Amino acid sequence: MLEIKEKSITISIDTNKCDTCETKACAAACKKYARGLLQIVDGKPSVEHLSAEEVLRLGTECLACEIACKFEGNKALTINIPIAGLDVYLTKRGLQ
Amino acid sequence: MAKFLEYQGKEWLAKAGIPVPKGRSASSPEEAQQAAEWIGKSVAVKGQVQAGGRGKAGIVKLVETSSEASAAAAEILVKTVKGLPVRQVLIEEKLAIKKEYYCSFVINNARDARCPMLMFSSEGGMDIESVPEELIFKMNIDPIFGLQIYDAIDFCVRAGIPNKELSKFASFLTKLSQVYKKYDCQTLEINPFVMTEDGSLICADCKMEIDNSSVGRHPEFGIKIARDLPGEVTELDMIGWSIEETDARGTGFLMNMGYDEVSPGYIGYHPIGGGSAMMGLDALNQVGLKPANYADTSGNPVGSKIYRVAKSVLSQPNIDGYLLGGFMMANQEQWHHANAIVKVLWEELPKKPGLPCVLLLCGNREDESMEILRKGLAELMTSDGIGKRIEIYGKEHVTDTKFIGQRLLALAKEYRAEKDAQGK
Ligand code: SF4
Repeated sequence: MLEIKEKSITISIDTNKCDTCETKACAAACKKYARGLLQIVDGKPSVEHLSAEEVLRLGTECLACEIACKFEGNKALTINIPIAGLDVYLTKRGLQ
Repeated sequence: MAKFLEYQGKEWLAKAGIPVPKGRSASSPEEAQQAAEWIGKSVAVKGQVQAGGRGKAGIVKLVETSSEASAAAAEILVKTVKGLPVRQVLIEEKLAIKKEYYCSFVINNARDARCPMLMFSSEGGMDIESVPEELIFKMNIDPIFGLQIYDAIDFCVRAGIPNKELSKFASFLTKLSQVYKKYDCQTLEINPFVMTEDGSLICADCKMEIDNSSVGRHPEFGIKIARDLPGEVTELDMIGWSIEETDARGTGFLMNMGYDEVSPGYIGYHPIGGGSAMMGLDALNQVGLKPANYADTSGNPVGSKIYRVAKSVLSQPNIDGYLLGGFMMANQEQWHHANAIVKVLWEELPKKPGLPCVLLLCGNREDESMEILRKGLAELMTSDGIGKRIEIYGKEHVTDTKFIGQRLLALAKEYRAEKDAQGK
């Protein structure tokens, strides 16, 4: 599992699913909608060419990679976007 | 603006050395009685609420004894004024008033001014709107040097203050102007300030509003949310504030609009930009729907910020629909909205199957955005799918508030009927 931390989100990629992915849509989306942080290395997405600080500085939290992977790739990528207070709000109303 | 209640404003005035009546706040009749005993003479019991016309609303009472103060507080604390519940009363000494005056410090936005302005009238104690224009005296104040005592004296002469009182009034107004600056006020209105029988000047009321942008410089105020909210801070307001508080990447504004979470006809409202927001409200108003919240994702916010706003809007319980109202041709890249909305609807619609979602997006990168929405939501939008009431519109309806409102209403009615039939 590859974890990429941006300023306020965490991108998790189950890279085992990537070997059979023909589109590598995540990297294409990253290039089209943002700054091309994700690159494909040995068939899998990677940000190893960047330091953690560079990922933080360049990451635009555009969410495009998740949407692209979901609809064109192998559903390997999820993004966690915490929202302070929302869980408590929903729990209080029995909606969690 | 961050607004203070009267008793809070007076506390800050007192800390800055400005005379205010002896008093303190109370949130129960017992506390009111104790406060009146502490003052030890006739008192005024004043309901604390962010609304004008308190006298007419019957939440200001003058009483002689502490048990009367308790009874008056009990009466006032169950009242609601302009939809706002009265949660506190201010108990303060009754003043022996000789004359009432008005003064306020506000921002003069006129092109040739753009500075603080002092307004003064010897007709205090009533709505300033009802005072004849010729009895209101105004003076711009240098924003750097502030109100100087000699200017204040000139001003008081012009306003008809008698010679022997000039230095007293000039000094009072000068001190207030210093408070205005020190606390980064946007408005400081004292109506009335009174001259008592013994000749002292005292602030009998206080309306203090602080510039939102300055709140970071004033931790002493303990302001949780530096925003103009229509009522008390709600949990949704707190969530909205947390989205913005430390993230300056575009606007991701969200606040409650008096939504009661129970009544039908409320729509989770997510416009893009201020002008768009007004048109969206027109769309809702025209068909009798109400906004559960006010949101705004403009100024090219990042996708994660748009997601946070949309997710919070859609999380509101018991809404009859969701409106993404991009009623203007946006310059920002709309594909960030499209990606965020697709993610949110996939997560939220399973919890609210069939919820009407009218999505209007137009402007920069519209074609690509439409493609993301259509492709991303296609699986949900089948005739029996959880997204069967999603409708997507682009530039062909960019200013068409009537059409968008009517579509939303038709879908909301259908949805409500379906829920009623299911007994939900
Ligand atoms: S699109 Fe998804 S499955 Fe394909 S390479 Fe990227 S993350 Fe892996």
